[in-house]
Amino acid sequence: MADHTATHAVHDPNLGTTGLDHRKMGMWIFLGSDCMFFGSLIGTYLSYKGKSLSGPGPHDVFNIPLTSYSAALLLASSLFMVLALTRLNENRIRAAAFWLFATAAFGLHFVLNQVYEFATFALDEGLTLSTSLFGSSFFVLTGFHGAHVTGGVLWLSILMVLALRGKLDRRDYTKVEIAGLYWHFVDIVWIAIFTIVYLIP
Amino acid sequence: MAEAHTAAQQSHGGGHVTVKTYINVAVALAILTAIEVATLYTPGIPHTLLVSALLFMSALKFFLVVGFFMHLRYDSPIMRALFVGPLIIAIAIILALLALLGAFILLPRHVP
Repeated sequence: MADHTATHAVHDPNLGTTGLDHRKMGMWIFLGSDCMFFGSLIGTYLSYKGKSLSGPGPHDVFNIPLTSYSAALLLASSLFMVLALTRLNENRIRAAAFWLFATAAFGLHFVLNQVYEFATFALDEGLTLSTSLFGSSFFVLTGFHGAHVTGGVLWLSILMVLALRGKLDRRDYTKVEIAGLYWHFVDIVWIAIFTIVYLIP
Repeated sequence: MAEAHTAAQQSHGGGHVTVKTYINVAVALAILTAIEVATLYTPGIPHTLLVSALLFMSALKFFLVVGFFMHLRYDSPIMRALFVGPLIIAIAIILALLALLGAFILLPRHVP
């Protein structure tokens, strides 16, 4: 019986022959491919920078204080995400649900700031996807990032609801850790976009 | 199952970092972001120095999040390779696109 238990403990169906969790490995592979996706978009943005023939330029439209605030929101949400994971590991499910809620709420606030920013650019500054090379490369890059954040907010919200319904506990640590990896990834992409697109003159 | 789960968690990084470390990293990220924005508004910094400083601080923030919040510092070398390999390719893509579309042409063009 003891041998059977030991054998059962070793044969976790989620662990591959490398001894690593294949779900987590799959997420790292996805994040690696997403790095190349965003690398292409950032490279295109930089290549087109300063080559627009019409429309406003980056520093005619950017609202650095607002964008800095958005950057702070995402950085704070990354802290909340690791706190949620820590609480889940301690099997404090209510606390984990609270930190998942805080992470999703800050992410949603980031998305709403981006919607406001896009609306201001389009309505007040006349900058749209079709105005200039700057407009198209800027909206595609930051828009895809915003779509990633929106997906993350939905994912975290589902995890939070599962936690509140008692369908998530410390045995689901890896499931939440994978969601966390995705969330931190959108944070690091924003770290790059914030500097390369908004801050560098 | 629970034993295997805990063992996997320990070996993959979950048990190495304390809440205090997370908060220290978050404070470092906040300070770096504040310095980045302040640098932008500081007059008289040469352009090359400004760009280099901003890129350096951004890279530092990037690796703090990846290393501590994503636990890659404590994770398996296979996981590290799965992320760092494509990251190097992504940087190569950016440089290739810049070269392809003339961003590295430093001399003004002579128009006849």
